[in-house]
Parts: sequence; structure tokens; C-alpha cells
Amino acid sequence: MTASRFETAGLDELEAFPLGENGPVWRPVRRHFDIGAFGVNVYTGANPGDPVISEHSEAMNGHEELYLVTAGHAVFIIDGEEIDAPAGTFIFVDPEISRAAVAKASNTAILVVGGRRGEAFQVSAWEVSLAAFGYLRAGADDQGLEIMKSALERDPEAWPVHYNFACYESLAGRTEEIFGHLCRAIQLNPKAQELAREDSDFAAVRDHPEFVRLTERQEPG
Amino acid sequence: LTKRAYQTARLSELELPEHPQHPEWARWATVRHYFGISAFGINAWTARERGQELIGEHDELGPRAGGHEELYFVVSGHARFTVDGDTFDAPAGTFVFVGDPGTKRAAVSRDGGTTVLVVGAKPGEPFEPSPWERAAPAFAYFATEEFDKAIEVLARAHRDHPDDAGVLFNLACAESRSGDGAAALSHLAQAIELDDQFRDLARSDSDFDSIPAEPGFSRVVESAPAS
Repeated sequence: MTASRFETAGLDELEAFPLGENGPVWRPVRRHFDIGAFGVNVYTGANPGDPVISEHSEAMNGHEELYLVTAGHAVFIIDGEEIDAPAGTFIFVDPEISRAAVAKASNTAILVVGGRRGEAFQVSAWEVSLAAFGYLRAGADDQGLEIMKSALERDPEAWPVHYNFACYESLAGRTEEIFGHLCRAIQLNPKAQELAREDSDFAAVRDHPEFVRLTERQEPG
Repeated sequence: LTKRAYQTARLSELELPEHPQHPEWARWATVRHYFGISAFGINAWTARERGQELIGEHDELGPRAGGHEELYFVVSGHARFTVDGDTFDAPAGTFVFVGDPGTKRAAVSRDGGTTVLVVGAKPGEPFEPSPWERAAPAFAYFATEEFDKAIEVLARAHRDHPDDAGVLFNLACAESRSGDGAAALSHLAQAIELDDQFRDLARSDSDFDSIPAEPGFSRVVESAPAS
């Protein structure tokens, strides 16, 4: 919101980022309007069987999330339980619980609203990186890199930003740019070391001596 | 959420029953209240017919509002919004974001069955439900004429928000309907003292049909505000 006191957009007018080759399509609503008070996104699956919500929990963000199936028909898998969810179904999920959804009908769309109870909303690091990765996949490295740099400028001591920047550089093929960010992420949160070992974003550098050094387990004692 | 880690519901299950005195009101699905959501506000309104008011004209300033950024999403049907003096069509799938709390916004349906979802919260602050929204379950009890239960909900909201004129007004309505004219009059007087718009509303609200005979009613609703 700059000059205008309000903004409108149709769902189809929002940017659409495919999340991986066979993943859902992400339409970043919060990012489009620069909403500062809550997280909101739409995910779509074009065909029956397509993933609409990738399996995840919100344990790290601590977000409670409300899902609304706005079109089509979805099947959720929450905490191992299958839930049929035609259009008009709300599902509210505690942060720690694993959740995923697939389309049961063509053109299924799910609106997700999230925030952390008792705290002012902050934009999640994943949202920034998903947008950057989306541009990278679409061949727009300049735009993706700009997003990552802005995120780092806003929050230079956030380990997820450094971690995701390392992932971004790895996917962009800029090997030498990876390790500074990964090293800083591990310094800020040692958990980043464990994440990096399993993260497919680092597949291209898994055997690189610097990656091995940064991620090797410390022997006890 | 107490025992289960998730909850599900259909939109239609969350709607309050039609208010007997206000059949013209759109159906209100009390989404936040139903799920006990603490991080943001969220509600939905569904119109029965074309031309029905979906979002009453309001801004997000003043003691009864939360200073919220609001995002509207037309889930189904077709709405017509008026925001900051501009009127525009909003078919299903349209988002309307009003970030400035001082901007007036309103919406009516262009089709029966139009549903508009509204999400709101204040940037930079932990979410707090608005007083009017905390009182949401009371409206269901008006519809079922369980006025004692409505009084219980509204009295609790009044304890949490003692200076909220809307909560006091609705408490007075419930007390009037339950036959407690003296309590209704006392709370109505407090509501009017806090916000003079409730003086006119009290004159026309059929919830007070039973108390014009109550000593003091005329004095409360007819005296002009002090200048």
C-alpha cells in the first residue's frame, strides 16, 4: 500500500510459482499485497492426484493455520488421518501437526491463513525463499537474488535467511557463494548443520570438501 | 483446540441462525470464534439474495475497531464493493485488500449465495479479537430466544471491555428481551453515554418494545446530547 488506499486482484492475476516439478502451484497473496498482519497464500492443483499442500508442520514457525478449500475438492492427510474436504471446508491445524493435501478434483484451490498466537506477525523466511526459488526456476535469477539480498538486509542475523541463501546459491550453481552463508547459519543455529546434511538443495556440492567440513558430525568426547 | 490437534467444519456449519428481528442481515459464519483462532481474525458473510448488504460500511478506526488491515476474498457468487468512494465489481476469486484502517469500505451482493471471507489483524501487534466479535455467540442466542445465555455471553464481554458501547447496547437488548427492564435501561443509558449513536438505534430497535413503560426510558433515549 503506497499511493492507493486499497488494492484488488483476481486469484488468476497473482504470480504463480510451481513448487518443484510435480509440486503444487503457490500464489503468494500476502506478498502480493504486502500484508503485514498475517500470512495468507493460495495453493492450487490442476489435476486429481496433484499435491496442493506439501507435507509439513509449522513447528518451526509456530503458526496456527486455517485452510479453506475454495474450489474443487481436496483430501487432507493430517497427523496420518485422511479427511475428505470438498469446496467450502475449513480445517484448522495446530502448529506441531503434520499436514498435506492432494487434489481430488480438477482445479482445486486451497486458501491458507496463518499466524503465531500471542505474537505480532512476522514474514516467514520460507515465504521469502519460495519466491526467490520460484524466480530462479523461471530463469529470473536477477529477481530471485534481489529478494534474497533484501531479506538478508532486513534480517542479517536470521539463521533461516542465511541457510536459504546458501540453498539458493547452490541451486543457482554458484558454489563458492554457498559456504559463507551456510557457515553463518550453522554458527547462528547448529541445527542448520543437520538440515544441510539431508537437504537435496545441496546435492551438487555434497562431496565438496568445504561442505563436508561444515557438515561433518563432531565425535563425542 | 483442546484434545484434537485439528478441527474441520463446513462454512454452512459455522453460520449463526437468522436473527429474528433482522432477517435482512447476511448470514454470519463466526470462523475465528468457532475454531478458537488466536493469531488473526476471520469471518465470512453470505447473502441470501441479490442486493443484500454483506459488509456494512465501516472503517477500522475508533475504540470499537481493531485498527486492522483487512483482506476480503469473494469465495462464491459476485459482490460489489465500495472502498474509499470507488465502487467496483468483485466476482468469485477476487481479493480486496484494505491496508489503511481509516479507509471506508462496504460490500453488497450481486448474486444470492455470495460469500465474502474477511481476514484481519493489526501489523506489529499480537492479535486481539474485537469486542463486537467476542460477543458473537450472543447473536445465536437471540435467534433461539435464549436470552439468559445471551446475557451471560454479553456480560462476560462487558467485563472484558467495560467501555465498549456496542457490547453494553446488546446487553441492554438481551436484558430487555428477558424482561429485566431496569437492568436494560441502566446498560442502555451507559451505552448512550459512551456513544450517542445508540440513542437513535434504541428508539427504533424492537428489542426495546417492552420497556417504553419503564420509568426513565423516555429520558434516556430522548434527551439531546449535552453541547
